[in-house]
Amino acid sequence: MSQAPVHAIAIHGGAGAVPRATLSAARERSFRAGLEAALDGGHAVLARGGSALDAVATAVRLLEDDPCFNAGHGAALTRDAAAELDAAIMDGRQMRAGAVAAVRHVKNPIELARRVMEKSRHVLLVGAGAEEFALEEQFVLVPNSYFRTAERLEQLQAEQRGQRVSDLVPPAPQGTVGAVARDALGNLAAATSTGGMTNKRPGRVGDSPIVGAGTYAKNGVCAISATGHGEYFIRAVAAHHVCAAVEYRGLTLQQAMHELLHVILPALGGDGGLIGVDRDGGVVMDFSSEGMFRGARDAAGRREIAIY
Amino acid sequence: MSRPRVLAILAVMAVALLARAVAADPRPIVLVIHGGAGVIERARMTPAKEAAFRAGLEAALAAGYTLLEQGGSSLDAVTAAVRTMEDDPQFNAGRGAVLNHEGDAELDAAIMDGNGPHAGAVAGVRHVKNPIELARLVMEKSPHVLLVAEGAEEFALEQGVVLVPRSYFRTEARERELEEARGARPEHATSPPATRHVTGTWQGSMGTVGAVALDRAGNLAAATSTGGLTNKMHGRVGDSPLIGAGTFADNASCAVSGTGQGEYFIREVVAYDVCARLRYRDLKLAAAVEQVIHNLQRSGGEGGVIALDRAGSVALDFNSAGMYRGVRDSRGRHEVGMYRGEKP
Repeated sequence: MSQAPVHAIAIHGGAGAVPRATLSAARERSFRAGLEAALDGGHAVLARGGSALDAVATAVRLLEDDPCFNAGHGAALTRDAAAELDAAIMDGRQMRAGAVAAVRHVKNPIELARRVMEKSRHVLLVGAGAEEFALEEQFVLVPNSYFRTAERLEQLQAEQRGQRVSDLVPPAPQGTVGAVARDALGNLAAATSTGGMTNKRPGRVGDSPIVGAGTYAKNGVCAISATGHGEYFIRAVAAHHVCAAVEYRGLTLQQAMHELLHVILPALGGDGGLIGVDRDGGVVMDFSSEGMFRGARDAAGRREIAIY
Repeated sequence: MSRPRVLAILAVMAVALLARAVAADPRPIVLVIHGGAGVIERARMTPAKEAAFRAGLEAALAAGYTLLEQGGSSLDAVTAAVRTMEDDPQFNAGRGAVLNHEGDAELDAAIMDGNGPHAGAVAGVRHVKNPIELARLVMEKSPHVLLVAEGAEEFALEQGVVLVPRSYFRTEARERELEEARGARPEHATSPPATRHVTGTWQGSMGTVGAVALDRAGNLAAATSTGGLTNKMHGRVGDSPLIGAGTFADNASCAVSGTGQGEYFIREVVAYDVCARLRYRDLKLAAAVEQVIHNLQRSGGEGGVIALDRAGSVALDFNSAGMYRGVRDSRGRHEVGMYRGEKP
């Protein structure tokens, strides 16, 4: 076996039905460009000796700002045509975590999640209370229209006509964006951000901002970010389950993720994907849906972007 | 044989039969409840207060256990036990919940059916009399697991739940506690939680109420409901409504409900961690609970959990001064306690 990479990062931009035939070359290029920008942005932090925490925050912020992906600008819309955003970040070093749910006016929810971790004594803030905290922390709020794109409106209208978003041409990533990283000091971190499901009921919160479900990091074990049908990931306590399988049963990260995605979630009826990094910087990306927008890069020279 | 001798032999046989019946009770029914952990000490308690708390715990046990005895589901039993404590103003859930910084109750609850498993939860609701019932409606009548704030109340209305004014939840005792907390410390400090000693708002009961149950059919269920922390920031959500953190049930492992400093329970995914250790480390339930409480202590967190497995084994543990708690099962166990060193 080759020597483990000193630092490593993996990202995802959502999982779901991504039939190759329906993705035009131009669209595929813009997805790949978005993934590359986030991957390289996060990797640059690690390469200059930055922390895993800074790397995942950077990668996720870039994905939030890219309207291709379902988080931040370009997030999926609720049944009231509003964006309602969830995010979480976890630092495996001290197992500190911060999360926000159902915020409507915060440009980069991942930054607010990080602020909850660092400046409040809480882990999870929701709704208007989370935005009040944002104001106290000098965040500039943006109108909800900032998040709305013409494409997401079309998808919402299609869904409300009874069409499934996954049947649309061109398809759009459902899900979520996320990143996991290991830095040169061996610290692990995970971050996840999402607009949730198209046409969701206001107030619905998925797995992304729930520590242990969509996001988890524990030094010496692994860091995980999930994407998929959130309700199933919550019930399976997916991200923590993978870490527990590695820590308590001695499974490899790959085995643990495989069991969750291909045994446990199908039994519940759910699908989706996971990215993870283990204590040594080994990256695993796996999914049970048709595709997952993803990328990985490490100090040993690995650099890959993939969709199918 | 002499008559006393026959009687003695019969007595021995009867005891042996009874012992076997208890040990072999193949389908026990069990209900375990808690009414919060925290500074619960004999020196701070009056006889009248203590009697009232014990009566409240007994009422919750009775409400849930009666259903189990009648062949009802563990899901119905935990719902009934938690609803009873929500309605009792002594406990920090439903009416009599602690108040947030703005002086309102902001309620969280979750329920999980180990047979499935299925789950439902609500957070940040302010006008729902029994949040545990709304959590159950989320589980049974929506495709979702967690609904928060106004969206959760909109769902409540759609389901025909009658909303109540915020004043319904407020009690004089909680208003006094809020006044004290406001005087004691700023609403939220700016130093990170890992380095800061948490006091003030953790004073008194770190309440939450919860229940875990096992029914005749062998199904486990867990439920938790809370008003959170006195003087909490508007929008703060603790571990109670988070599946895996404060509430978890799976027939494949165990059922757990937690109470304590929620932020620590979230980070350590306490409820699920108990079940993961039970299942994957092949530990007994009591050992799994002990390890998790030990880790909680090490990270600086305070609180307790109640846990129950499919064989009917019960584990209750806490690292705070006390925890309101109760156990009742078909093997004849029937206990309520609140202080350290007491049964159960």
